[in-house]
Amino acid sequence: MTALALRHDGPGTVPVPGPRRRLIGLVVALVVLLLLLVLSVMIGSTAIAPSVVWDALFHPSADIDQFAIRDYRLPRTVAGLVVGAALGVSGALIQALTRNPLADPGILGLHAGASFAVTVAVGLLGVRDIGGYMWFAFAGALIVTLMVLALGATRQGQSPVVMVLAGVCIGAVLRGAGSALELTNPAAFDVMRAWNAGSIVARPLDLVWPIVPFLVVGLVLAVVVSGSLNAMALGDDLAAAQGVRLTRTRVLAIIALTLLAGGATAIAGPIGFVGLMVPHVARWIVGPNQRWIFAYSVLLAPILLLASDILGRVVMHPSEIPVGIVTAFVGAPVLIVLVRRKKASRL
Amino acid sequence: MLVLRHGRIAVRLEWRSVVVCAVLALAAAGVAVLALMTGSYQLGPGQVVSALTGGETGLVHDIVVEWRLPRVAAALVFGAALGVSGAVFQSILRNPLADPGIIGFSQGSYTGALIVILVVNGTYWQLVGGALVGGMATALAVYLLAHRRGVQGFRLIIVGIGVSAMLDSLNTWLILKAELEQAMAAAAWGAGSLNGVSWDRVVIGGACIAVFLLMAAMLSRPMRQMELGDDAAASQGVRVSPVRLGLIAVGVALTATVTAASGPIAFISLLAPQIARRLARTAGITLAPAALVGALLCLAADYIAQHIAPTPLPVGIITVMLGGGYLGRLLFTEARRRL
Amino acid sequence: MTMTTLRRGTALAALLSATLVLSACGDNSGDGTGATTVQKRTVTAGNGAVEVPAEPQRIVTIGNTTLPLIDMGGKPVGVTEVGASDLGLIPAEQKATYEAATILGSSGDQVDMEKLAALKPDVILAQMPKSEFEGIEKQLASVAPTVFWGLDVEWKALAGGLAEAGNVTGGLSGQKAEFEKKIAKIKETYGKVIADTEFVNVDRWESSDPGTFSVADFGCVEIAQGDLGMNFPKAAAGADPLGWTALPFEQIAGLSKYDVITYPVDAEGKPKAPFAPVVETNTWKALPAVNSGRALGVFCPGNNSYGPVLRYLDSLDTALATLPAK
Repeated sequence: MTALALRHDGPGTVPVPGPRRRLIGLVVALVVLLLLLVLSVMIGSTAIAPSVVWDALFHPSADIDQFAIRDYRLPRTVAGLVVGAALGVSGALIQALTRNPLADPGILGLHAGASFAVTVAVGLLGVRDIGGYMWFAFAGALIVTLMVLALGATRQGQSPVVMVLAGVCIGAVLRGAGSALELTNPAAFDVMRAWNAGSIVARPLDLVWPIVPFLVVGLVLAVVVSGSLNAMALGDDLAAAQGVRLTRTRVLAIIALTLLAGGATAIAGPIGFVGLMVPHVARWIVGPNQRWIFAYSVLLAPILLLASDILGRVVMHPSEIPVGIVTAFVGAPVLIVLVRRKKASRL
Repeated sequence: MLVLRHGRIAVRLEWRSVVVCAVLALAAAGVAVLALMTGSYQLGPGQVVSALTGGETGLVHDIVVEWRLPRVAAALVFGAALGVSGAVFQSILRNPLADPGIIGFSQGSYTGALIVILVVNGTYWQLVGGALVGGMATALAVYLLAHRRGVQGFRLIIVGIGVSAMLDSLNTWLILKAELEQAMAAAAWGAGSLNGVSWDRVVIGGACIAVFLLMAAMLSRPMRQMELGDDAAASQGVRVSPVRLGLIAVGVALTATVTAASGPIAFISLLAPQIARRLARTAGITLAPAALVGALLCLAADYIAQHIAPTPLPVGIITVMLGGGYLGRLLFTEARRRL
Repeated sequence: MTMTTLRRGTALAALLSATLVLSACGDNSGDGTGATTVQKRTVTAGNGAVEVPAEPQRIVTIGNTTLPLIDMGGKPVGVTEVGASDLGLIPAEQKATYEAATILGSSGDQVDMEKLAALKPDVILAQMPKSEFEGIEKQLASVAPTVFWGLDVEWKALAGGLAEAGNVTGGLSGQKAEFEKKIAKIKETYGKVIADTEFVNVDRWESSDPGTFSVADFGCVEIAQGDLGMNFPKAAAGADPLGWTALPFEQIAGLSKYDVITYPVDAEGKPKAPFAPVVETNTWKALPAVNSGRALGVFCPGNNSYGPVLRYLDSLDTALATLPAK
């Protein structure tokens, strides 16, 4: 709701670093991400020697510790990377599309749709495994976005404002219906409280791979529309004068957004905040150019997600905290410190 | 993004507000009678009237006077409080979608309540205290974190989002780690529920609300002046800063009281001022129609919540769905017209 | 405009507070008990001594009391909902009894009070968290005498109290005798195994975070531990039960240090649905106990009344018999 309330104030007044420094920043982010990928395989709730980790990956045998690396740490690292990248870019897309720097992919009702679909699957259809939830979540996200697209069609084409409103309203209705279902069905409530937390654990690679093609298509579409989105940041009329086809761009962006955020939600459940914060911070760093924002988001979001996941494995030892819960605790303080340090607090 | 404001409309529409208020009050009274008359325990209208006038004893008296009546009273009073709270916030933030949730109040009070329900296993009054302390502490923390040579709207919202996200996560975690039955009770509270409301709760909550409503009424004149801009108000002799702080305090206190008593009943504070403004066709935000719309909404939603499913649902589930639908239609037509 | 708003607002507030004060003054004289000849008896429970009819005809069960009462032969007229997974575990005639009753709500604190009152019960039996009961205590008591137990009551005490208040002591004493016999028999048959085996009981529930399991020290295992004296890991005094800690699958490897693992299975002996993901992991399959036939599936249909506990003991008996000699 709050995100809706903000106005977009056009391109930034903050000095933007030159291409050279932006590139250096990108390389630094890449190095940090690679480091975290390695750490994510090394660190876990049991102590496993680095040599065993190495052997598990490159000289596999039936050793019980090797299974722990290959079956648990490796898949969750892959899931973290994939989900993070998808969330980051989908957040950047929704922020560009709505020209609202605090929009979150969930604003189009996507999380609510996915969550409601899973509630129905659990509560009414008796589905009980992650592989099943996954496709229901994906379908729920897709259907809600289609509804939002349909409702957002005005005489002048797709209006982001109307789409966001439609998303918020559909989201509210679905959330209410979902709670009604859960509160009258304890078994569904029990499953949903775990799913709603958002986690990248116990998603074996053979469950993640089928979603990846959707994410790749989404990523490609995002890159394709980035130029048009840049033009549209200056205003619809100006963009149209430059030959940008507004409706086509918006529909493509929405499709990309749905594939990315829907796919990420299907794998991990509704992970909030990453999609809001990462592109927002990326914009502070690199300015309003969408291509740079995408590039930074695709690296920074998995960094946030993997760092949170690793932290979640160690802080409550021997237990773990689902990554969806940790992200806000890692990200929000960063966001607050950043906003306090910013001189010009507008964009 | 959207500014839901028509041009200034002349004061001659004044009488309309009065009529609207009267109609709203009548409608609320109608729903109240309906709610008193119906329930899963079959009672004839004669029995209900006789119970209300003290002519019944035993179970019939209890059902009408101790169960149904406080619930109706709570819905009316809490709904009115939420309506006024939303009106105040929308007026001072000059934003039709503002509500006290913006400064993390709802999440904070949910956290406080969850800790009392799940960790301390406390009584109802401890729950009230926990929700109040949680909400107030969060609002204060957001305010202080956003304070850097003054509080600026944008920073307030970002800090609010960050803090709310953290508390949301904490709440999810607390629910996740609790026993199923307690987690469900907590979730029902979190949805906003009037189940089991008794007179002592209504009276204490209502007394607080009455005081805050009075304060809101006293501040309503400078509030209207400030809607035209801080400078304009200051030139008319309004002391802008203290008035704004007072209004924020009253708005938060009203929501806080309701949240503490029955959980966060969603969307009423957002919707009631909007509906009221449309009905009364006033230019800005007015308190009395907002209060009446809030009361009517809350009562009607609670009536639906009790009768729509085989077992009673929390009222907040209905307000979310009704609210989502209505707000959608409302904003939708507005947005279409502007495009 | 502003002036009228002010006045109207003030008037509204005054009106509201006046209504409140007035309605709050309404007296509540609600103890009109008619002349009765019903025989009474007094039972003592979590809410003190309660006078209940000696032969209650219309019993309502709220919270966890439903299945235990039905298990002892009681026939409640109103109940709170029991989950489908629990219902699937009870005998068909008990399920029929449950289904014949009116459902009053999904859990203890969500009871539809008017529906409850409309059933005109003569006694209400409730088990739920104490804080939740306090919220509805007064309303329940105005409908019928209410006997309440908190969650901390031991299952045998609950069964005893329920039998007394629900007038099903006949059913209880038969079950009790059978229980004592069964315990004695297992102790005798497996005395040596019980004395020198380190067991561990693992479990997983629908609410468990994905990819986690628990070393469970509550449920049926408490009977194996307490009544049979089997050696299972135990939480330190005053600490939370071990089962509350969700352990990531990585730590399955840590189970190697125990001699025998017990895990939950359904009535057919297949791993219970929520536990199935554990059995499917390579780490589980690589455990020495699993490889040597020392992982025992045990069926636990419930642990708060004698009927299901007896079925658990049968299952445990059968499982222990398959244990290869050391």
